[in-house]
Amino acid sequence: MEKVGIVGYYQVKLYSDANYGRYEMIFEAVRGAIDMAGLKKKDISTVISCTNDYYDGRTISNCFTVEVGGGYMTDESKVEMDGAHAVLYGLMRILSGNHKLALVWGGSMASCFPYHSTRLFETDPTWERPLAYVNDITSAGFQMRSYMEKYGVSAEEIASVAVKNRKNAARNPLALAEAQNVNINVKEVLASDIYADPVTELMVAQPCDGVAAILLAPERLALKITDKPVWITGVGFSQEPYYLGDRNLYESKSMELAGKTAFESAGIKDPKREIDVAELFESYAHEELILAEALGLAEKGKGANINSEINGDISINPSGGATSGNPPCATGLIRVIEAARQLRGEANGYQVNNAKKAVASGQIGMCAQNNILFVLEGGN
Amino acid sequence: MSEDKVIVANKGMVRADFNFWVGRYLDKFLDNLENKKLVGNKCPKCGDVFVPPRKICGKCNITIPIDQNWVDLPDTGILKNYTITPYRVNDRTDRKAKDLLLGMIQIDGSNTAIVYKLLNLKPEEIKTGMKVKIEWAEKPKGDPSDIKGFVKI
Repeated sequence: MEKVGIVGYYQVKLYSDANYGRYEMIFEAVRGAIDMAGLKKKDISTVISCTNDYYDGRTISNCFTVEVGGGYMTDESKVEMDGAHAVLYGLMRILSGNHKLALVWGGSMASCFPYHSTRLFETDPTWERPLAYVNDITSAGFQMRSYMEKYGVSAEEIASVAVKNRKNAARNPLALAEAQNVNINVKEVLASDIYADPVTELMVAQPCDGVAAILLAPERLALKITDKPVWITGVGFSQEPYYLGDRNLYESKSMELAGKTAFESAGIKDPKREIDVAELFESYAHEELILAEALGLAEKGKGANINSEINGDISINPSGGATSGNPPCATGLIRVIEAARQLRGEANGYQVNNAKKAVASGQIGMCAQNNILFVLEGGN
Repeated sequence: MSEDKVIVANKGMVRADFNFWVGRYLDKFLDNLENKKLVGNKCPKCGDVFVPPRKICGKCNITIPIDQNWVDLPDTGILKNYTITPYRVNDRTDRKAKDLLLGMIQIDGSNTAIVYKLLNLKPEEIKTGMKVKIEWAEKPKGDPSDIKGFVKI
């Protein structure tokens, strides 16, 4: 694959109820990424936004974000999935040879709408929606139980993932304040409110307000813009059947396939040894284990046995992952940014030593139905 | 939301209900439900049995003809998975007094699982792998709620 580099990025501080509007937030992120790269608005040749009409409360919601999102009189298109999918779209536009500089941004304000109710609109309208038994929370309950029963994993082991991520989030200044907790322990996680047994409140990556933006450029231009480009060397993308009853919820076949494609293109043979940092989009604590196992970072069912702390066997979610704040449509994009931050040595407070290769993932759908994985490398 | 914010709670100026047609396959399925009968259909290639029936087998990428491969299914199945939630699933801010017990049930003779309530059971009595049976609504209407839930056999 031809090299495409990340030459700028910006993420706003995440809030559960931001005290400023979404347009200011979008502008801050977009302008921040452009300023970081030392560029001007006119340098951007294509804009990919990622929002969701349901989350924005209006149809074709990107028509309202033209000015603030850098889309004024520019080639602009929207992805209605995760921000990480928008990165793929931006990447493809650069690889097409028709565009020089792609601006990708994504985000929303979960404080404006009942997020979990909205997820009900994802379900089959003729069969599942009238009963309203299936939504993101109940399906997470099924997924966690399936994983625990299949591999004999305890709730304590899964709670310890939430503990690690909330402690990591405390070192990440942009994380959601509610997610930052240095003193948290497994007992506290298990004793928090039950969402859908066995999933408890503190295992959930809480929807919040936030926007992130990234700038992509082809190799030659990237080297002109920055002396610290981060290269996208591999990408893979796959999805599973829709109905939960058709899937083995204890594993992620789609992430397995996404990983296979991405690693092949990046020339990675042994991800466990070669990858230094993994920023995974885990909507719930147990998903981090399922996704890590699907990528071969741990054996099936043994995700909880590896040391995934910062500078452990493999550093998984040093930023705190999605648990550190889950602004719909931005979360996967933030994973890509966090991985880039690590590779540039800019993760002050949660930097992984000697980080050379990283993976970042995005997801969408019930029980991470759809997964996308990027392999990123630092240096030029 | 913080108190000092001016909020426009937008309920919408228009009401635009979306009328989904269930399609010919689910139509036949719901007609049977109304008679307290469960039917599915079978992929002619891989042999997977779907309940509710499907027009397309995604795995084989072929159409299952409407006039063929219908399978009569029993009202029994196996509990493959379960969860218990104190929240109304369509709005987690609205706490219900009673836990909602939900199961993923694989109907005997089918290859997928459906999500329904588990009835007359205490949380500690629920075990993955246990045999369950449909509890039908007293007056079936030909919609998904005709299956009230599942009880332990």
